[in-house]
Amino acid sequence: MKDSIRKLIDQLHAKGAHYVDARWYPHEDSNFLFMWNGNLKENNASSQSGLGVRVLYNGAWGFSASSDLSNLGAIFEKAFDNARIASERVTFPIRLAEKEAIVGSFESPNEIDPFTIGLDEKVAFLKKMDAALDQPGVVQRISVVEFVRKQIIFMDSEGSDIEKNIIEVFPSIHAMGVDKDGGMQRLKYLPGRTGPTRGWESIDEADFLKNADRLVSDLNQLLVAEDAPNGKMSVILLPGIMFLQTHETIGHALELDRILGYELSFAGGSFVRLEDFGKLRYGSEKLTARANALEPNSPGSFGYDDDGVPAQDNLLIDKGILVGAITGRQMVEEANAKARKQIFDGSSGANRATSFYRVPIERMTNINIDPGTDGNLEDIVAKTERGLVLDGDKSWSIGSNREQFHFACDIGWLVEDGQKKQMVKNPTYRGETLPFYNSLTGVGDESTWHVHYVENCGKGAPNQIMQLGHGVPICRFDNVQVGE
Amino acid sequence: MNQVIELLKQLRQAAVEKGLKALITYHEEDSYLMRFANSAISLNTNEHLISLDFIAFDGNKKVSYSMIADPSDIKSMEKGLDILAEMLPHAQPLSYDPTFPVYQKDVVDERSYDPALAALTNEERLAYFNTLAEGLENDDVRLSGIFSNGVTTTAQISTANEHTQYFRSTDAQVTAVLSSESLKWEVNAEQSAQKKSDLDAQGLHDDLTLLVHHYTQDQSVQLPVGKYTVVLGPAATAELTNSMTMYGMNGAALKQGYSFLKEENMGELLFSEKVSLSDDPREAEIFGEKADRFGLERKPFPLISEGRFQTFMWDQDSADEFDQEPTGHDVNHASLVMEGGEKALGSLKELLEMPRDEDILYVPYIHYMNVVNPTQGMVTGSSRFGALYLKKDGSVQVPYNVRLTQKFSDFFGERLQWLSQEQVAYNVSSSYGRRNPTALKVPRFLCVKEIEVSHSNPSY
Repeated sequence: MKDSIRKLIDQLHAKGAHYVDARWYPHEDSNFLFMWNGNLKENNASSQSGLGVRVLYNGAWGFSASSDLSNLGAIFEKAFDNARIASERVTFPIRLAEKEAIVGSFESPNEIDPFTIGLDEKVAFLKKMDAALDQPGVVQRISVVEFVRKQIIFMDSEGSDIEKNIIEVFPSIHAMGVDKDGGMQRLKYLPGRTGPTRGWESIDEADFLKNADRLVSDLNQLLVAEDAPNGKMSVILLPGIMFLQTHETIGHALELDRILGYELSFAGGSFVRLEDFGKLRYGSEKLTARANALEPNSPGSFGYDDDGVPAQDNLLIDKGILVGAITGRQMVEEANAKARKQIFDGSSGANRATSFYRVPIERMTNINIDPGTDGNLEDIVAKTERGLVLDGDKSWSIGSNREQFHFACDIGWLVEDGQKKQMVKNPTYRGETLPFYNSLTGVGDESTWHVHYVENCGKGAPNQIMQLGHGVPICRFDNVQVGE
Repeated sequence: MNQVIELLKQLRQAAVEKGLKALITYHEEDSYLMRFANSAISLNTNEHLISLDFIAFDGNKKVSYSMIADPSDIKSMEKGLDILAEMLPHAQPLSYDPTFPVYQKDVVDERSYDPALAALTNEERLAYFNTLAEGLENDDVRLSGIFSNGVTTTAQISTANEHTQYFRSTDAQVTAVLSSESLKWEVNAEQSAQKKSDLDAQGLHDDLTLLVHHYTQDQSVQLPVGKYTVVLGPAATAELTNSMTMYGMNGAALKQGYSFLKEENMGELLFSEKVSLSDDPREAEIFGEKADRFGLERKPFPLISEGRFQTFMWDQDSADEFDQEPTGHDVNHASLVMEGGEKALGSLKELLEMPRDEDILYVPYIHYMNVVNPTQGMVTGSSRFGALYLKKDGSVQVPYNVRLTQKFSDFFGERLQWLSQEQVAYNVSSSYGRRNPTALKVPRFLCVKEIEVSHSNPSY
């Protein structure tokens, strides 16, 4: 198969294609188990295989994919024809940043392949979680595990030949109850990635049982809690919501394709402009953010992106100043040309596709906030006059240029005069991105930092779901509008 | 069609021979997407994918297996059945008996299929976009958008007998955006098509011309937060209606505690008497299908009749679990129709020219709408793509985007003022995962008073 792909790449290159790459997925397997109130509502396995071909011709992309591998040549020809038509409407001829042709491989670190674990054992885990959640006050219980295993062969006309074998594990538990006002409240636990690996062994049953008890206890308090207040105050975001704040208003805002207007017809643009790099004060000096695709245990680490560029650890925001973006080979060339200066020194290795039948686009890797020096939660609360401690992502809505946002959280606690007080329900907050990050006045230390995975980041047309991570500490922001 | 049916019968036979009681579903998509950005074609793609879903039943046990299949490799497809057979003994019994589908007759439904749309070429997609953007682009105003079209085929067979269900449809979804690179304003025009003759590039050109005129000539403003009389365009109305139905009128959501409606609300006047909403599978234009996945005939299904909430939709599994009658809603998409009203307004131009005795905020599109609180039916989202502020003195201003955080009942309840007579199909297909053409038919305009603007951008 690889020989056939190589031959077809060479043939198209000889026919005038500037660049050709192919991603062959010999297999992608997944297994999804979903237990709701003791019923295993989903017990699904799935598999897929196929080939996606990308062709650059006269400055334009064409792409074609198929699960029918009986005529590989037809897939290449269709991609070429798609590029030929696309080249009839070109405003900035696509160029690709230089890269080294790599012959290599990547294996995500794991000790136990979850696909070697029997269904009985997986179901037993869910039943144990379901039983742990089955306590007074809980009216709905959900336990979920999802496993993904994929093999990707990447080859291009520049000589790259990369094989990736990636395994991901996504477990979570959820508890729901009806509050005193008749509203449904939901709390969840998605474990932070603390160990060095991401196989079956990363599911720590004891940790889940401990957190199941915590969820039930918190839920029962939440059911009798008052509504969160309305007004302006500090918000202290725990990692369970800080990851999403980072994701939506740093991650997406700094995707270079969005900045250059390539997502305007769907997901939106970015308030960031090319001239902002190196000088825009994005946040207070306490804010340092990076795209680190080298975290070993996160789905945002993948060895090589789908341009064949090695994964990297790059600064995005350095002590509050915008310095970098999430980039692939195409966009950095266009950005540098449009800016008429070298803003980006090559691709940051963040061009990824969700499957063989989607084209790679700029995707977040692990968009992390560096830990700070403001201690742990107690230390930050102690220095807070009036505010809310918030956790859990309930809903999110962000402006089309990521310039403003509205988040609802699962749970909150009042803070008054340096003390964490009673729990409150239905907390929300909103803000404008730059003023919000410039009001960052507290960043927790290493002990508060952990990697939170995201398994369902949507972007692009046709749409793609991507998996990634965010390593974030506890953060405090002042003068934030809450309660709308 | 014959090839698909033959394949299903072959797989059915293999399942029977393996002793499986199974439902086999076939999904094929032939998808084309031309994407535009910065006035160029940024991506031109097509995918041809065949998926199979197998569900095996054994008393109160159920397991499923899905695959994207190579149609030339029947052996690998049959392996899916082997995997099911391996999984089934390990399945955990459900607390209820899941229904095993037994089709009573063959169903063939190709009402939504148009061979001309299926055969649309790259050249035609490009020509369409060239027409809609003609004369509107310059160094600052750039064209973005998508032209997505394709053919979707689904079919089912169960091991109970050899009856099959077969559905085929064509769809196109066009979004064209003109945006200012320097100022960052954006306007758009959209179209949903089920057949080639629906495509109207000139109509989109006219809409874009009007909007670009206002966005380049009229004063831009940051609206003060507060209450406004709002006219929603079809995209906003369709998005709200779709979300309200999904969260509010779905039996599973009700039982899981996520609906803002309760069983005791059935028959109550909860919405404006001007609102009638149904799921109407007779409408080929919005991809109605004759039967659901379990073979239940789909009929017009009133959800709201003159403001009175009627009933909930039940898919088969939820009906089984909660001891309800299934309502033919084991479907990939409903075909929702909101009836038009009395206001004779057929275009944005007519809305702009309409005499008005108050200021009106026109919100054609709600960006990134999300449900803040499902049990309250509270949603939030921002205006985008061509919002206008129509002053009562007849002038027009261009408002920076605003955030609306309101309940469904605020939009569709007693604050609702009027609905336009004319209805339009609006495509809400998600391109996540498999192609699944989905559209609603909604009034072109819906006017509602006292909608709260909770945040207003200081610039584009």
